[in-house]
Amino acid sequence: MEIAIVIIRIVIALAFALSLIPFMVFLERKVAGFIQDRPGPNRCNINGVRVSGLVQSLADAVKLIFKEDFISTHIENRKVFILAPAVLFVMSMLTLSVMPFADNIILGDKSYRMQAIPFDMGILWYLGFAALSVYGVILAGWASANKFSLLGAVRASAQSISYEIAMGLAVVSMVISYQSVDLNQMVQIQSGTFFGIVPNWGVLIQPLACIIFIVTAFAETNRTPFDLAEGESEIVAGYHTEYSSMRFALFFMAEYVAMVVASALIITLFFGGYNLPYISTELMHESSSLILFAIAILLPLGGFSFMKWIEKNNVTRYKSKNDFRIRENAIFKKAIIGIVAIVEIVVAITLLGGVSFFEAQIVTAIVQILIFSMKTIAMLFVFVWVRWTLPRFRYDQLQKLGWARLLPLGFLNVIISAIIVAM
Amino acid sequence: MAIKTKKIERRGSSLSERLYLPAVFSGMARTLKHFTTNISDTSNLQHIEYPEQEIPDINERYRGQHRLTKHADDSIKCVACFMCAKNCPSSCIFIEATERRDGVAEKMPLEFKIDLLECVYCGFCVEACPHDAIRMDSGILTRTGESRDSFIVDKAKLLATRAKES
Repeated sequence: MEIAIVIIRIVIALAFALSLIPFMVFLERKVAGFIQDRPGPNRCNINGVRVSGLVQSLADAVKLIFKEDFISTHIENRKVFILAPAVLFVMSMLTLSVMPFADNIILGDKSYRMQAIPFDMGILWYLGFAALSVYGVILAGWASANKFSLLGAVRASAQSISYEIAMGLAVVSMVISYQSVDLNQMVQIQSGTFFGIVPNWGVLIQPLACIIFIVTAFAETNRTPFDLAEGESEIVAGYHTEYSSMRFALFFMAEYVAMVVASALIITLFFGGYNLPYISTELMHESSSLILFAIAILLPLGGFSFMKWIEKNNVTRYKSKNDFRIRENAIFKKAIIGIVAIVEIVVAITLLGGVSFFEAQIVTAIVQILIFSMKTIAMLFVFVWVRWTLPRFRYDQLQKLGWARLLPLGFLNVIISAIIVAM
Repeated sequence: MAIKTKKIERRGSSLSERLYLPAVFSGMARTLKHFTTNISDTSNLQHIEYPEQEIPDINERYRGQHRLTKHADDSIKCVACFMCAKNCPSSCIFIEATERRDGVAEKMPLEFKIDLLECVYCGFCVEACPHDAIRMDSGILTRTGESRDSFIVDKAKLLATRAKES
């Protein structure tokens, strides 16, 4: 049982991060397309089925795998060169391992944390490994032995160090308000209310810390508007200029995993984590049959409206005798009906058999994982949305914002929240 | 005469502008509006599915692949004067002349080849032609092939190409 729980939580955390990478590539391209009034990737298909452009991510992966893994002869530190992308990727994955994706599961008289690593000082773990992941960038820039890569690495390290202080201060003010460094406990506190009606979300009790943290999270993940480390108009591609094939893909994936982690941490700290407002885990345990009933009603409605949306929007703009989109829509329709039917049958069996405490816990965990994924994807959408809205900062503006604006604001916030909590 | 000057007000010093966030949020609201209108109804996207769908705003003067014109009795108009080949800046027209015996003209091309990979579609051959024998109104704007030879069009192909119906 012990080993099964360990395997389950590691598999969930890994699957969460790795399956979100192709989805993120898809989301990025598609949102970029829609924001700029164009359709985005829509040609790549497997036998006519394009899944709206998700197959493009697969094609990209295949392309990167079959590319030549090239190391230029001018590179002397070949070991460091090879190690750098792995360092970055491993550090990104390790930061994910302390995100609580569901509340503790109680089996017998033992309580199991639903994190890949059952560690109760999650926020410190995150800060530590997020700081270490900069080493990957620095090593890559140094080992590449060219001035553009080195400039990119220097920019990345300077940026990360400046913004980590403000991020740390935002985290300190959150730790003061929650009186805890345990991410799971933070989420449990957030399912409560203050003044009787307002949900106890971090964004409502510490709005300034929320803004500071989100801005610094953008800077930590090297995303626009703070992606000076790979400013292609100035320094080619920054620290990954010399990389090709899967080594480049590792940098790419590490960036997306870092984004997933940053989103997960933002929703865990400020947007209620895996819980919905007003609904605590105990309440979910008690009313799990009600939740199942709500799923049984809402899922077919959702599936039906999604089907309508596909029929309305997935249309060919020219006349064709053999329209692949009609075939594709038929396949989608069958898939949606199949998924809805399977879920309905499982829900019906569980409801008819009577919900035991163990089953109530499983249902709660699954619903919480779903809520966690939804919230994370919503936050990832914000990342993508900001990228396609804002231009890049100039380097002096970036440093000015970090040291002269966010740092004093962070200190002010810590002092104010400390005074309020002490009173 | 006094120089007209227009004083442009410097922006960026008011509090709301120095906070960045109001401008950031208004920009994000605008992009979100584009996103939601497009995702709720994809017919709002202004695009054409190119190879399958025809481009609507290409007028009849747009230069496409060449064709050789014919008289009313289906005989070739070209008199093999070599004006097009001389005028061609990329030297991609190759003509082999022969004697013409049907009384229409003295010469006619035995072979007339255009290398489309060399051609820059400048239309100088059309302008140089004294007999209106070569035109670029076929409406064929893209051409794909699997070998270099498939891009060399000969006399038979040029004669068989029709003008684009408008």
